[in-house]
Formats: sequence, structure tokens, C-alpha cells
Amino acid sequence: MEKKRTLKDSILTVVLGILSLAWIYPIFMILFNSLKKETSISTGTAFQIPNSGSFAGLENYINALTSKGFLSAFWYSLVITISSVVLILICCSMCAWFITRVKSWYSKALYYMFVFSMVVPFQMLMFTLSSTADRLHLSSPYTICIIYLGFGAGLAVFMFCGFMKSIPLEIEEAAMIDGCTPLQTFFRVVLPILKPTLISVGILETMWLWNDYLLPYLVLDRTKGYMTIPILIQYFRGSFGKVEMGPMMASIMMNIIPIIIVYLLCQKHIIKGVAAGAVKG
Amino acid sequence: MEKTIRRYWPVFVLPTLAAFIIGFVWPFIQGLYLSFCKFITIDNASFNGLKNYIFALTESDFLHSFWFTALFTIVSTVCINVAALAIALALTREIKGTNLFRSVFFMPNLIGGIVLGYIWNILLNCALTLLGKPLLSLHAPYGFIGLVILMCWQQIGYMMIIYIAGLQSIPNDYLEAARIDGATERQILWKVKLPNLMPSITICLFLSLTNGFKLFDQNLALTGGDPAHKTEMLALNIYQTFYGRSGPQWKGYGQAKAVLFCILVVVIGLVQLKSTRSKEVQQ
Amino acid sequence: MKKVFALLLSLTLCVGLLSACGGSKTETPASSGESGSSTATGSVYYLNFKPEQDEAWQNLAKAYTEETGVPVTVVTAASGTYEQTLMSEIAKSNPPTLFQVNGPVGLANWKDYCYDLTGSDVLGQLTSEDFALKDGDATLGIAYVIESYGIITNKTLLAKAGYSVDDIKSFADLKKVAEDITARKDELGFAAFSSTGMDGSSDWRFKTHLANLPIYFEYQADGIGTTDAIKGTYLDNYKAIFDLYINNSTCDPAVLSGKTGDDSRNEFLAGEAVFFQNGSWEYGNLVGDGKFTDDDLQMIPIYIGVGDEANQGLCTGTENYWCVNNSASAENIQATLDFMNWCVTSETGTKAMANDMGFVIPFKGAQESPNLFVKQDATYTAEGKTPVSWNFPTMPSENWKNEVGNALTAYAAGTGTWDAVVSAFVDGWASEYAAANG
Repeated sequence: MEKKRTLKDSILTVVLGILSLAWIYPIFMILFNSLKKETSISTGTAFQIPNSGSFAGLENYINALTSKGFLSAFWYSLVITISSVVLILICCSMCAWFITRVKSWYSKALYYMFVFSMVVPFQMLMFTLSSTADRLHLSSPYTICIIYLGFGAGLAVFMFCGFMKSIPLEIEEAAMIDGCTPLQTFFRVVLPILKPTLISVGILETMWLWNDYLLPYLVLDRTKGYMTIPILIQYFRGSFGKVEMGPMMASIMMNIIPIIIVYLLCQKHIIKGVAAGAVKG
Repeated sequence: MEKTIRRYWPVFVLPTLAAFIIGFVWPFIQGLYLSFCKFITIDNASFNGLKNYIFALTESDFLHSFWFTALFTIVSTVCINVAALAIALALTREIKGTNLFRSVFFMPNLIGGIVLGYIWNILLNCALTLLGKPLLSLHAPYGFIGLVILMCWQQIGYMMIIYIAGLQSIPNDYLEAARIDGATERQILWKVKLPNLMPSITICLFLSLTNGFKLFDQNLALTGGDPAHKTEMLALNIYQTFYGRSGPQWKGYGQAKAVLFCILVVVIGLVQLKSTRSKEVQQ
Repeated sequence: MKKVFALLLSLTLCVGLLSACGGSKTETPASSGESGSSTATGSVYYLNFKPEQDEAWQNLAKAYTEETGVPVTVVTAASGTYEQTLMSEIAKSNPPTLFQVNGPVGLANWKDYCYDLTGSDVLGQLTSEDFALKDGDATLGIAYVIESYGIITNKTLLAKAGYSVDDIKSFADLKKVAEDITARKDELGFAAFSSTGMDGSSDWRFKTHLANLPIYFEYQADGIGTTDAIKGTYLDNYKAIFDLYINNSTCDPAVLSGKTGDDSRNEFLAGEAVFFQNGSWEYGNLVGDGKFTDDDLQMIPIYIGVGDEANQGLCTGTENYWCVNNSASAENIQATLDFMNWCVTSETGTKAMANDMGFVIPFKGAQESPNLFVKQDATYTAEGKTPVSWNFPTMPSENWKNEVGNALTAYAAGTGTWDAVVSAFVDGWASEYAAANG
């Protein structure tokens, strides 16, 4: 019996091993194509590993970095992601605490509005949201976080409310009796308890923001040349009568690499965050 | 305590609420209104009655994209969940390398839709060229299969994590008791594990359903709706109607389509909420 | 400490939100700076249609700003997305002040946004009234460039194959030469046509420019200038020339869908093909260091085997009309009109348009263009040949072109039939016309 199980398990390990090799193959394919000369990248040869004739070193990376403003796109992506995530975490956790602790019709109404906003598809708002953002001058990478706070509040508030309910009231009451104002109570007592949730929500929001395409594409001011990485990659495809495969592959890699680094560094949190987020969401 | 907190509402609620009004409530109301209008900019909207909706509901491309989306959603939901559950079951057997496998399977989930679309566009087109078959953008069935493969690659890891969490929360006593009673592995799976996994299954099903319906980036990058709008899903169809056509009437049509799309997704969402609620009660 | 921090934070947030509503945000010096100057002197925002000329326009805009201090922003839409970009940009609070339409059909969609140019300086500079786009009494657009297209021929390669351009005087000649080259492809080392790229960056050469010919001849036969329903009288000829292109090309028809405009040009530049269907705007890309000289090239008419082929000239016309956005502020409209006038009258402007962009402009101050293809067009006309007019501005919509393009791509790849092209061409025309005008 024991022996049979080990045999079965080793077969399983092999099968899963092959499967996971297949799983990461697409990323490797992009990696080695990004090292090829531009003329050697075509639909028929994408599977070929670069050889001495087609190897281009880091040329594509240099092209991508210098030509179409990759660095500024990277910077804007970073600014947008960080500012929006920080804003969403602080504002939404505060809002969620208020909603769960104040029992009245309006906090309930607010809660349901947030939940509703979670399911509404972006296409419903794309035009009106981008024109509102334009009118209020929220169309720069430094101000778009307010749009993200508004549009992304739903999921964050919903998740915070779910966890908030499980925090015992007694601790907060004790703090208030000791003379803490609600703000002190929130920042000294509630937030520390909330830390795991903050991480989960932060991760989910980061994943969304870093990769978001349509919202920044429509909202950001084109005349100033604001772009994020996904927009830039899309741009490599369609613009100026040319598909710049080399720089595009390099940009894809440079979009993926930070994600993979962050993922390897805090894998545990990410996986936990996803599981927790899904169970509540 | 509640009273004191209530007095602090400008600090706690106002920032989020203000942003929420700018970023959701106001655009939403405006969007609803504009779906009854003919417009290019908001300022020159003229009321158009139900014409936009009548157009949207009779346009063959829109109806086609609805059926395409529905079919895609069903197929991808089944594929993703079956595969994710199978991998989750394998990974909870405490075999060697579990952590590594889990990391690998989850990774594609972190990559954005546009990038995913291009990766698979290159890969699948190369495979099709080598096989001597028409490219993705020429043959709608390949486009469909490509989208399914892409979604599986992206979503299986995510669903797998949820299933693993679900499996791990099944008390060991249940499994022990079943084994002592002489149940086979298969019986344990069907009679013990799966029933206890029901909450996870519902969540995953609805997550993949809504993801499927709302899919946009991947669709845009992988096939762009080619050939001839045959692989265009609802979200992309709305976008194309809205921005891809000139003339004042199209934006109204697009907005009306968006409202219909919104209603559809909200209905799915409500069913989801209701069913998760009732599952919670049962437990 | 934390309390103070939190208070400050929420205060800044509220203030930030409120001031954002007020319309000025301290964090964006760029935008507030520009809106400040725009109220003083006006500014220009040009949404450029031609990706090939992006750099030239950027430089011209810079030169203008240096000379006059008026800020000019030039944004170029990626190829195939002009309408899409215009649609989203026009709704913004800082919309393009100068944009373009492709002719009467495009104008019908945008006329509510077109400023009446009657009496403006730039209108007075036109060499002929024919280049003004009118709606009733109002002049809403003016053509700013006249272009020609045809089959650009590499004379050197053609001589190698044993022919000269004088041997090609009809479709039958063209077919004979092309098929002969294909038959000896391996021996000669080059193909007849550069790839008929059906990627979005290149398919306009066939779904729009090539499709002009059957439409032109049908209009000629019926004595009309536009129609609500095309009959498709000469679609068989359209098929014949398209077949000729794809079957005598550098590559297999099945892979054409992925070929871009660049691929096609590069093949031509590398001497892999004799013929390259394109227009006078390609001149700058073909001639220069390490490329061709004027002696290598000639543009010949696209013969499809209809009409009086002996007297057929190049396809010459325009689909580029400038329109000024009437929803812009008065200062910006004035600034835009001044900019347009400067472009077509000043030394810098006319030189840039003639040399850097290779344009022939229909304005009095135009400089002679060094563009070989333009000169050849003049020669053909002088020889008494009739230029083929541009009728694609009468195509019912962008979508019609896209549907025809899709059908052509599928046909080339073998996954679709020619009947689908005919249906997209004829039935699509009627339904798109109804949708646009209904």
C-alpha cells in the first residue's frame, strides 16, 4: 500500500514538473526572442532559440529604453500604482471602519453602493469617466489616483468591511474610554490589527493598477505624452506603419521582470492575499 | 462611541466619498442618461429616446458578440475550474516540490492582459505557421481556442490557490473517518472533499464567469476582434462601437450597449451574492 | 504625533479633492502653465493624420513656436486609429483645434465641429476653389496636399528582367511582365510585387487605394460622382489585379495578413521586388543615402483592364482636408488660422512641406517639390493622360473599408472566398450608407 502510493506520487511529480515547464515556456520564449535581432523575429521562427546569426545581445532593450520613452512610461506606471494603492488603502480602510461602526441607513446605503460599483463593468463609464477626469484636471499621472480611488473603492471597501466585522468591538471601546479620539483609535488600534488585510488588499490593487490598460489610455492626457507600460506596448504594435517586435518583446520582459521579482520576494503574502480576497470577494 | 465616530465623518468618509462621486456615481448617472442621447461630447447631447437600444438589440455584430462571449465564458469556466481543481488536488497530496509548482502555476496571473495577449499572439501564430494553418486573426475558431488557452493559462493558478485553501480547511477528521470506514480514494473525493468544497467552487465559478464576460485587454491584444468582428467579445464590441466609428449616432449606440452589458453583469453578480449567502447559511 | 499626521493627511486629501474640482492642481505645473498662456495668446493643437510625416510636423511646430511664441502641440494618431483618436480627443476640455477629414463623407460626420473658413487668409491662398470643401455656402475644409499613387517601379530591376516601363501600357502587359518575372523568380533573384501586406499599417493600400479603381470606372460609366449603392460592375477586374499582386509576390499569400507596410517597403528597398504599389508620400522613404536615386524609379498607372488604358494617368487627388474646430476658444481658432496661413505662405513652412514632407500643396506660395513622383504625374498630365480621381472619400464609412479589408485578407489567405469580398463591397456599401445617413 505504502509503496504503491509513493510510486503514484512520483509519477504525479513528473507530470506536474512537465506541466510547469510548459507553463513557464511562454515567458522564456519572449525572453529569448527579446535577445534576437529584429529581422530574425517573425511568426514562423518564434520558437527558435537565438543562434550566432540572430543573437542581438541587449540591443532591443537599449532600443526600447531609449526610443519611445520607456523610462518615462515606467516612471508614470510606478507613480500611478504607488500613489493610488496608498490612497486606496488609507481612505478605504477609514471609510470601511466608519461604515461598519456607524449603524444607520446611510452607512448601509453607502455600503451597498460600493458593492454595486464592484460589479459594474468599466465600459459603462469609460466615456463619462474620462471626460469627468478631463474636466477636473485629473488626467495627469500625479492626479489620476483620485480617479482610481473613486473607481476602485468598491472592492477595497467591501473587503475591509468584511474583515472589520471580525474585529472585536471591546478593544476599540477600551481605547475610546481611555480618551482616544476616533482617529487615534483607528490609527493606533484598528490599523495594526488590520495589517494582514491591508497587505491582501494592497496586493490585489497593485496587480490591477500595474496592468490596467483602458482606464489610463482613455484618461491620461495624450497631448502631454503620458503613457503607462501597457499603453506603450500596445503602441509598439500599431503605430507608424510598423510592428517593432524587438523593442516590444524587450518592453514585455521589462514589464514582467519587476512583477516576478516582487512575486518571488513576497510570494507568501500574495498567495495568502489572493486566497483571503477570493473567499471574501 | 458610535456618536463620536459619527462626528468624524468628514475625516473618515469624505475623501473616499468625494472620489467615489467623481469616479463612479456621477459618470454612472451621466452614462445612463447619455444612453438615451445622440452625442459626440457631453455638451451637445440631444435626446434620442429608445432608438439607441433598438439599434443595439438588432445589430447582428452585437448579438454575435453576445453569443461568442457566452460560449467563451462557459467553455473557459469549465476548463479553468476542472484543471484548477485537479491541480489543487494533486498539490494537497504533499508530494515533492509542491511549493515550487504552486509558484509556477500562479505566476501568469500577475501579468497584465495586454502583455498576456501579445505573448500568446506570438506563440500561437508561430505554432499555427509551423503547422501550415491560417493565423489567429484569419480564422475565428482558432481565435476562440486561443482565447480559451490564454484564459486558462492566466486563471488556473488563481483558482487553484482558492481550491487549495478550500481543501486545506476540510477538517482532517472527516478524511480519517472516511478512510477508517474503508472508503476508496474516489469515494473520498466525491463524497467528502467535493461537498465540503462547495463554497470554494461557487466562488471560483462566479469569478471565472464574471472575468469571462468582462474580458477586454486579452481580447484586444490577442485577436483584436479579427476576422471581421468574429472574435469580438462584448466589451471590445462596445469599445469599437464607441470609438471606432465616426458620426454622432455611434456613441449613443455604444453607450446603450454598455448599459445592457452592465445590466447583464450586475445580474450575474447578484446571483453570485445570493448563492454565496445561501451557502453560508447552510454551513 | 500620529494624530497630527492623520489629520494633516485627511486635510490634504480633502483640499486636494476640492481644489481638483476647482480646476487647478498644484501638482501639475505643466497643465496649469499651458492653460495660462492659452488664454493670453491662444494655442494650436494639431491632430495629425499622417504618421510618415510626424517628425516633420513636430519640427515645423517647434520652428513656429520659436518664431512667434505661440505653443503648437502636434499629436499623431497611430495608423488606422485617426477616427478613434479624434473621437476621444474632441470630447476633451482641450480638444484639437486643427484636425482633418477625408472629404465629403468625413465632413458629414464632423461638420458640426467645423469652423467656417470663409474670408480667412488661408482660404485666399488656395490656387483653386476646387480644393475647398463646402457645405452649402460655408467652407468647412481646405485640401492641404495633393498626392498621386500608382505602381512604383524599380526600373533597374525591370531592365534586368528584360523589360522597360514602356512595355507596360495596359493590364495585359502588366500581367505578362509580372508572370514572366514570377516564372523566372529563382533565376532572377527577385519577385514581381513586394508583399501585399494586409496588416493594419498597410491594408489601406488595397482596401482603399486599389479599390478606388473599380469605383472610379463605375462612376465614369454611370456618369456620377457618388452613390448610395455601388453596383460592383468592375469587381472582376479588381479581383484580377489583386490576384496578380498576391500570386506574383515575394511571399506566400497565406502569410500576407501579418505583413506590414514596413515589410513591403523594405523588400522593395532591398531589391527583392520590382513593383510596389504606393504613393508620392513614399518618396522620402525610397530615395536617399543607401537607397534609390531618381533614375531608378518610375511610378506607372495602375491598370486594371478597364477604360482607355492608353490614356490613363496616375491616381491623383486628395483625401486630406484641414478643418478648424469651432468649439475651440476664439483665441485658439485665431491662433490656428494664423498657424495654417504661416505653413502655406512662409518660407519655413512651404519649404518644410515641400522638402521634408514631400507634399505638393495647392496654395499660391507653394515651393516646387523635389518629389520625383509628383513631377512624373505632371509629365503624364502634360502628355494628355487623364488622371484617375480619388473617389474613396465617397466610400460610406471607415467601417466599410475595414470590412472590405478583412474580406480581402481572408481571401488572400485562402480562408475566405471572393464572394465575401463582393458582398462586403456591394452589400456593405448599401448598409453602411444607410447607417451613416439614416
